Amino acid sequence: MKTSDAFRERLLGAWVEIRENLGRSVLQALGVLLGVASVLGGFSISDSQRKRADEMFVKMGGLDKLNVQPKAAVRDGRPTALQQANLGLRDEDAVGGEALKADAIHGVSRQKFARARVVSPYGDQDRQISGIGGDFIPANGYGVARGRAFSASEMDSGAPVVILGTEAAQVFFPKGDALGQTLRIGTVPVTVIGLFEERVFRFREGQRNQFWWRNRIIAVPANLVQRRMNGDAYRRVDRVTFRIPDLGAMGGFAKQLSDLLRTNHRLQEDFRLDDVAARIRRRNSQGDVYDIIFLLSGVLALVGGGIVNVNIQMAGLKERVREVGVKMAIGASGREIFKGFMTEALLLTALGSLAGLALGVGFSWIITKNLGIPLYMTPASFLWAYGLAAAFGFLFALYPAWKASRLSPMEALRYE
Amino acid sequence: MNPIIETQGLTKVYGSNGTAVHALRGIDLTVAKGEFVALIGPSGSGKSTLMAILGCLDLPTEGTYTLDGRQVQGLSGGELARIRNEKVGFVFQSYNLLPKASIARNVELPMLYAGVGRKERRERALALLEKVGIADKADKLPGTLSGGQRQRVAVARALANEPALLLADEPTGALDSKTGAEVLGLFRELHEQGNTLLLVTHDPSIAALAERRVEIRDGLIAFTEGAA
Repeated sequence: MKTSDAFRERLLGAWVEIRENLGRSVLQALGVLLGVASVLGGFSISDSQRKRADEMFVKMGGLDKLNVQPKAAVRDGRPTALQQANLGLRDEDAVGGEALKADAIHGVSRQKFARARVVSPYGDQDRQISGIGGDFIPANGYGVARGRAFSASEMDSGAPVVILGTEAAQVFFPKGDALGQTLRIGTVPVTVIGLFEERVFRFREGQRNQFWWRNRIIAVPANLVQRRMNGDAYRRVDRVTFRIPDLGAMGGFAKQLSDLLRTNHRLQEDFRLDDVAARIRRRNSQGDVYDIIFLLSGVLALVGGGIVNVNIQMAGLKERVREVGVKMAIGASGREIFKGFMTEALLLTALGSLAGLALGVGFSWIITKNLGIPLYMTPASFLWAYGLAAAFGFLFALYPAWKASRLSPMEALRYE
Repeated sequence: MNPIIETQGLTKVYGSNGTAVHALRGIDLTVAKGEFVALIGPSGSGKSTLMAILGCLDLPTEGTYTLDGRQVQGLSGGELARIRNEKVGFVFQSYNLLPKASIARNVELPMLYAGVGRKERRERALALLEKVGIADKADKLPGTLSGGQRQRVAVARALANEPALLLADEPTGALDSKTGAEVLGLFRELHEQGNTLLLVTHDPSIAALAERRVEIRDGLIAFTEGAA
C-alpha cells in the first residue's frame, strides 16, 4: 500500500516534469520512438514477406514433402558392370520407400514425363505430358473442378484418359466444353475426363501469376506414359514425392530412404532428395539476416537516442540541482531522488515506445501495402521492440539518476 | 528535560591539509525544547555551516551532535535524510518551493517521504495551510503567490512532520518589511505554541525577537545573550 502510493506519487511527479518540459521530453522520446518503430517495422515487414512465402508453399501443396528425382551420376571412364546394372529411379523405389515408414507417410506420388505432339481439332502443339500416379493431385495442390480424377483401375491399367489444366483446355478446346472430347497425344487417342481448377498465386498484388505454368498441365496416368509413350521395361519414373506431415519424422526418413535408394541403385548416387520444408527453413534463415539487420538498426537508434538522452538529462540536471537540494532538505534520501529520476526516464521511454509502436505499425502497413502483400505482425515483434527500448531506456537512465542521487544536499541547496 | 540541540566541540574543516579552511572551530551549543534562539554573525563567520550541521544537511568533521536524543555524527546519507524528514523543518530565504507542484503538494511532500497515506497527507496539508492563513491557495502553483504567501507555504511545509526543530535561514531576507513582520509574527506564534526555533539572521532587529542570541564569529561562539 505504502510503496504503491509512493510509486503513484513518483509517477505523477514524473508526468508533471515531462509535461512541463514538453520540448525536451519530446526530443528525448524521439530516439526511443525511432528505435522502436524501426525494430517493429523491420520485423513486421520481414514477417509479412515470410508469411506470404509460406502461403505460397501451402498453395503448392504443402511443405511436408520429400521429392526424389534422378540425377546424372558422375562416372569415371567406362561404366562398370555394376554401374550398368543400375536401373535408376523406378516404381520399386517408391514402393520400398513407403514401406520404410508406412505410418508416417500420408501419401506417395509418382510422375513420369514425356514430350509429345498433342493434337485436337483446334490445336496442335508439342507439349510436356505429365504421367501421374498415386496421390499426385492433392499432394501438389491441384483440384478437379469439373469431371473426375483418375480411378484406381485407370491408374493401374494406364487407361487413355486425360485431365487438363485451364490453359491446356483453353488451347486445345477454345470453343465449348473440353469434357468428354478426344485428344491425340503422340499416337494415343485419349478422352478428357476432368478439368483442373485454375491455379493462381500472386506474391504481390499486381504481379504475374506465379502458378501460371501449372495451368498448362496435361495429366494422364503414369502407366499410360510408361506403356505407350516414353516407357521402358524397368518402369522408371521421373519423380517420386513422399508426403510426411510429421516434420520431425522427415529427417530420419530422408536418411533411411537415401540408404535404401543407394542399395537399389547399385551404390550409385544417381538421385537427389529435396526436402521442401528444409528448403523453406534455409530460405527463412536468409530472412533472419534481415531480422538481424533490422534489430541492429533499431539498437543503434536506441543507443544513439540513449546517448542523446543522457546528455539532455545531464544538462537538465544542472537546472534541477536546486530542486534536488530542496527535496533532500525536506527528507528525500538519495535513493528516493534516484527513483524519481528513473521513474521519469522510464515513463518517457514507455511513452516514446508506445508512440514508436504506433509509428511502427503505420510504417509496416504503408510498406506492405506498397509491396502488395498482406501485413502480418507477431506479438514477438512487439515484445522485441518494447523490450529493447525498455532495456536501453533503463540502462541510459542509470547514470544521470545516479549523479542526481549523489548530490550533497547542502551544495545542491546553495547551487545557483 | 532533554535539550533539542546539544553539541560538543563541533568542528568543520573544508579541503585538505594544505588549503584547509576551518569553518567551525569547536562549537558547544545547547538549545532546550521550546526555545527561540537567533544565530547571528557576519557572513563568513561559519553560521551557515553551523546551520547546515544542525539541520543535518552536513556532518561535522569532529565533535558530537545530538538532535532530540539522536546521535547525528557518523550517520549515513540515508539516515540523515530520515532525520531531516522527521525532526527538522527548514525555512529558507528564497522559499525553495517546488515550482511545478501545487501548494498543497509542496506541503505534502515531507509527509510522502515519511510514508504518510494519501488521504491523511491531504488533510494535514490543508490543516497546516489553514494554520498559516492561506488555505484558499492549496491548489495554486507557487509562482502565482506573493513572497509573503510563499514563505507561509514554506513554513507550513516545514511543520508538516511536526519537527523537533524549526530552522529558519534569513526567512525575511527576501521580503519587504511589512510582509517580513507578518512572517516574523507567524514565527512568534509558533514559538508560543511550543515549537523550538532556530533563526539564522544578520539583522539585529530580527534577532532581538528571540529569547536568546548566539553570535558566531570565526567559527566560534563569540557571545551568548539572553536566557540560557
